[in-house]
Amino acid sequence: MRRALPSVVAVLAAAVLQAGLAPHLAIRGVVPNVMLLVVVTIALVTGPGRGAAVGFAAGLTFDLLGTVAVGPMALVLTVVGYLAGLLHEAMFAEGWLLPLTVVAVSSLASEVLYGLVLDLIGFGVAFWATLVTKMLPAAMYNTVLALLVYPWLARLLRRERPMKTFRRLA
Amino acid sequence: MLVAISIALMTVWFREGDSGPLHRLRRGVQAVAAPVSATGEWITRPARGALAWASDLGVSRSRLEDLRAQNERLRARVAELEEARLENARLTELVGLTKAREIDSLAAHVIGRPANAWEGVITIDRGSDDGLTNGMPVLGPLGLLGQTVEVSPSSAKVRLITDPRSGVAAMLQATRADGIVRGSIDGRLTLDFVSVDETVTPGDVVITSGLGGVYPKGIVIGEVQSADRTPSALQQLIRITPASDPLTLEEVLVVLQSRATIEPKDGE
Repeated sequence: MRRALPSVVAVLAAAVLQAGLAPHLAIRGVVPNVMLLVVVTIALVTGPGRGAAVGFAAGLTFDLLGTVAVGPMALVLTVVGYLAGLLHEAMFAEGWLLPLTVVAVSSLASEVLYGLVLDLIGFGVAFWATLVTKMLPAAMYNTVLALLVYPWLARLLRRERPMKTFRRLA
Repeated sequence: MLVAISIALMTVWFREGDSGPLHRLRRGVQAVAAPVSATGEWITRPARGALAWASDLGVSRSRLEDLRAQNERLRARVAELEEARLENARLTELVGLTKAREIDSLAAHVIGRPANAWEGVITIDRGSDDGLTNGMPVLGPLGLLGQTVEVSPSSAKVRLITDPRSGVAAMLQATRADGIVRGSIDGRLTLDFVSVDETVTPGDVVITSGLGGVYPKGIVIGEVQSADRTPSALQQLIRITPASDPLTLEEVLVVLQSRATIEPKDGE
C-alpha cells in the first residue's frame, strides 16, 4: 500500500489539474491530457502491471469528469499503461529521448484508440478530419508538456535510481 | 481483466437509466469537480485578461477601419429596426397578440471550460437546487449556446451547439428555409438539410425554428459563413459562424420556461 501511495497521489493531482487547469491551457480547442502523461510516466517507472492499474483508475476518472459514456478512456489508458510499462526494463534512468518518444507514441495511440471507441459507441467521429484537427495536435501538445511532467514525476517515483540528465532539466 | 471491466462499464452505462449507479457516481464526481473547475477559472482569470489585452494590442489599422465601417452600418441598421419595433408594438396591440416570446431565465456564471479535446461542454454554477433540469436551453449575450446536461445540485454541464452530439432545429431568417444545425469534433457548425433550390448567401442570419420543442423559436444561432453546392447533391453544404464564442463567455442565461408561439390574448 505504501508503494502505491505516490501513484495514487499522482493520479489525484492529475485529476485536479485536468479539471481545473488543463481547460485553460487549450490551444484552438486542443486540451492537454494530463492523465495520460501521468499514466505513461508511472508505467515507464514501475512496469506493466502497475501501468495498467493506474491507467484504468486514471481513465475512469477522466470518463467520470466528462459527459461521454463511462469506460472508453478507462479501456484506452489500461491498454496504453500496460504497453508503456513493457518498456520499463529498457528504460535508462539518464535517458530522455526514449521516454519522450514513448509519450509521443502513447499519446497518438491513445487519441486514435479513444476516437475509434467513441465511434463504435455512436459518438460519430469523422476519423481523418479528427486525426488532423485533434489527434495529431494533441499528441504533439502532450509530448511538449511531458518535458515538464516526466522529469519531476519520474524522479519522485524512482528515488533509488538517480536521474542525472533530468535532474538538470528539473 | 481491467479491459473486460472497462467494456462492462460501458455496457452498464448504456443499459442503466439516469438513476443508475454509474450516472449517480458521475453526478457525485461532478459535484466534487465543480469547485475545482471554479478555482481554476478564478486563478487563471488574470492571465487570460492579460493575454486578451496583449492580443488586442496587435489590432491592425485595417481592422480598425473595418470595425469603424461596421459600426456605422450597425448604427444605421439600429435606427431602421427601432422604427420597425415601434410599428410592431402598435400592430401587436392592435391585433391583440401576446408577446411572441416570453422567457423566464436565470443568470449563471461559467465555472468550467471543456476538460478534454473531445467534448464541447462547459460547467455553470447553477444546478437542480436552482430549478435546473436536463435539456434547458442556455443563451449567451448574442445568441444560443447549448442545453443543460448532467445537472447536479449546485452545478450543471452545458453541451454547446458546437459539440458533435448537438443538433438544433433551425431556419434561415431571410428565406425561412428549415434545416438542422449540427456541431462537429473540431467545433465548426453546419446547417444541414437545406435544399439546393434555396438561395443562401454569406451573412444570412440563422435562428432557431422552435421545431422539436427544446429551443424557443427565434433565437439567433449565428450567420452563414459559406454555402456550397455540389452538382449531384440534394442539399447545400452550409457553414455557420456561431453568434457567441462560448469559450470566452463568463456569464450565461438558462431558459427555465418559454412560450415560443404567438397566442391570442384571453377573450380575443
